[in-house]
Amino acid sequence: MKTGWFVLVTVLAFCVSITAFAPPAAAAEPIVLGCPLSTAFLYGWDAERAIRLAVEEINAQGGVDVGGEKRPFEVEVIDTRDLEPGVPVSEALLAVEKLILEKKADFIVGGPVRSEAALAAMSLLSKYQKISILSTGALTPKYHAMVAENYDKFKYCFRISGEAKWMVTGEIIPCLEQIGKDYNLNRLFIMVQDVAHGRAGGELIAKIMAGKGWTVIGEPAIYPTGTTDYSMGLIKAKKENAQVILIWMDMPETSILLKQWHDMKVPALPFGSIIAAAEQPGFWEATEGKGEYCLANVVNAGNAPCQATPWTEKFVKAYEKKWGIEPEGYGTSSSYMAVYTIKDAVERAGSLEPDKVVTALEQTDLMGVYGRIRFDPKSHQIIPATDPKEGAVGTIFQWQDRKRVVVFPESIATGKILLPPWMTK
Amino acid sequence: MEIIVYGVINSVSLTLIALGFTLVYGICRLPNFAHGALYVFTGYIAWIFLNTLGIPYPIAIFLSLIVIALVGGIMYRFILVRVRGMAISEIIASYAIGLAILEGLRWGGLKGATYTLPSFVEGSVSILGISVDLQRLIVVGLGAVLVAGLWAFVHFAGIGLALRGMAQDERAAMTLGIDSDRMAVVAMSLGAFFAGVAAVVLLPLGSIVVESGYNVLILAIAVCVVGGLGSWTGAVLAAFIIGFAQILTVVHLGAQFQVVVALLAIIITLILRPSGLFGRQKELEERV
Repeated sequence: MKTGWFVLVTVLAFCVSITAFAPPAAAAEPIVLGCPLSTAFLYGWDAERAIRLAVEEINAQGGVDVGGEKRPFEVEVIDTRDLEPGVPVSEALLAVEKLILEKKADFIVGGPVRSEAALAAMSLLSKYQKISILSTGALTPKYHAMVAENYDKFKYCFRISGEAKWMVTGEIIPCLEQIGKDYNLNRLFIMVQDVAHGRAGGELIAKIMAGKGWTVIGEPAIYPTGTTDYSMGLIKAKKENAQVILIWMDMPETSILLKQWHDMKVPALPFGSIIAAAEQPGFWEATEGKGEYCLANVVNAGNAPCQATPWTEKFVKAYEKKWGIEPEGYGTSSSYMAVYTIKDAVERAGSLEPDKVVTALEQTDLMGVYGRIRFDPKSHQIIPATDPKEGAVGTIFQWQDRKRVVVFPESIATGKILLPPWMTK
Repeated sequence: MEIIVYGVINSVSLTLIALGFTLVYGICRLPNFAHGALYVFTGYIAWIFLNTLGIPYPIAIFLSLIVIALVGGIMYRFILVRVRGMAISEIIASYAIGLAILEGLRWGGLKGATYTLPSFVEGSVSILGISVDLQRLIVVGLGAVLVAGLWAFVHFAGIGLALRGMAQDERAAMTLGIDSDRMAVVAMSLGAFFAGVAAVVLLPLGSIVVESGYNVLILAIAVCVVGGLGSWTGAVLAAFIIGFAQILTVVHLGAQFQVVVALLAIIITLILRPSGLFGRQKELEERV
């Protein structure tokens, strides 16, 4: 009897020890999303938050189905600092390479954020055959032009956010024409940041608007990153009777520009084709309301609250719940959708093998936060539209009474453009 | 006319930015490369006092200036004193402190354009037909008061005279009983205090961003090199030269060339007169 008890206790102890010390059941290997982002800047930190939100949602639903196996996403972020003045492009390239080699990223999502750095990273992505979906920052049309020109080399590069050429021709110009028609304005002064997309965007707008009969005052005024005084430019705008000031700058110091504009009572409507500071929900408090009437283009719908698609409202609420703030600006909704788009493509491909996923991404047709998501199969640029049912829709809003009110395109607008009182006198 | 009005404003802003740096160098021969970091730090401290602790604005400013002066003194007393007299080590140590402060602020959440301080006074006036906001006029007024106050302090106050003695000849001052290290603590505290004053009057014009710490340091160095390291008169004169040159550059060449002005000023000065307009440390070499 004693022997029986001894054997029973021994067997039980053995079972307990096996349960306690055995390694856990092998968890599915995560799919690593490497995110090179300039996290001290709006277009970096909002992208990171959106990516983490999407990953959390997808993982909560069981992860990604890769050929029958459910695998979770894992996020690895490296601060590229590429939006900071004076930081060389090579820093961003190092970050991308580190994500690929050390962090074993399966996909690159988000940046590099600065156009110059994103362009430079293309060869690196090609070298390692690593699929990348740009979702914030880089707006240069050269990015998708390079894919189209050299498809075999750059086929791993996709961009799910807007780009400067469409923003100008499809959104900014029509919006400017609308303003001109509604308020009889036709004198334009352009202020841009000394970066590739800013200079190119400013020149293009100047050329097109001059062709449309507007008076473009002088050459676009170019400001280095980090500029803290815009008085000379604003004085010139005032002296030359500018009626619209087009601003293309992604640096936080643009709040200074709006404060000066207000204090000097410049009788011209500030139109931020890109104006990072004015995109943020905290802009009203930061300028003590002096930024009212400023228009800001946030590139994709959902980067500020609106009702473009049923997903938009759901996304805005989820973002607010997780981060305690409304979606903050350019890069938020597109970064969120980039994760869902990868999930969709991987599940259709049934594999992580790059060429298969490239093909699947080229065949993407997905409704998302800012409308229908499809890529041009030759250039890998998201197909834009002014109607969310047709393609990725943009958003131009205006600060009105503490709120960001969507005013363009008409298909998703919730309000009309207003002029500051000192322009209507 | 706008060149004159905004030239003066820009020049006084540069004077405010550079005064603390040149003061510390003039007295201790210590190039404080943490100057820009102290500038940003003051703004952030004032922001915390105002927004997190809810302290009334004037008291928040006063307290932030006290804190930053203490930080300056502590920097010297516990770190810089150990490398005093070793020029390269002084630069490395002070720059390392500055980096630690700026990166610490970034790590602590200082990001974006939403950290701002309110203007002292709202509104704008027209000067000779040029619209100027009142905060910028306060900058000019305060700059003038600060320079005059500093002049009076070093000419009439006991500690000020001791600081001047240190600036003229440290060894001679020591033989007369002046404690060199104690005066250096005072100088560092004063330098940090001036960086703080510049911050609390200039930052309400824009927002508190980490990157401005590097810009402020470059501008302070440019002003001091052109004026002559350690010369307060030279610093004021150089601030006006660079300040007007920047505005002229913006008007005639474009704003993108404005950043070049400060660096170009340093290069031209080093070629033509390495000791700067009022500097003396290289007089002999220059004559030879």
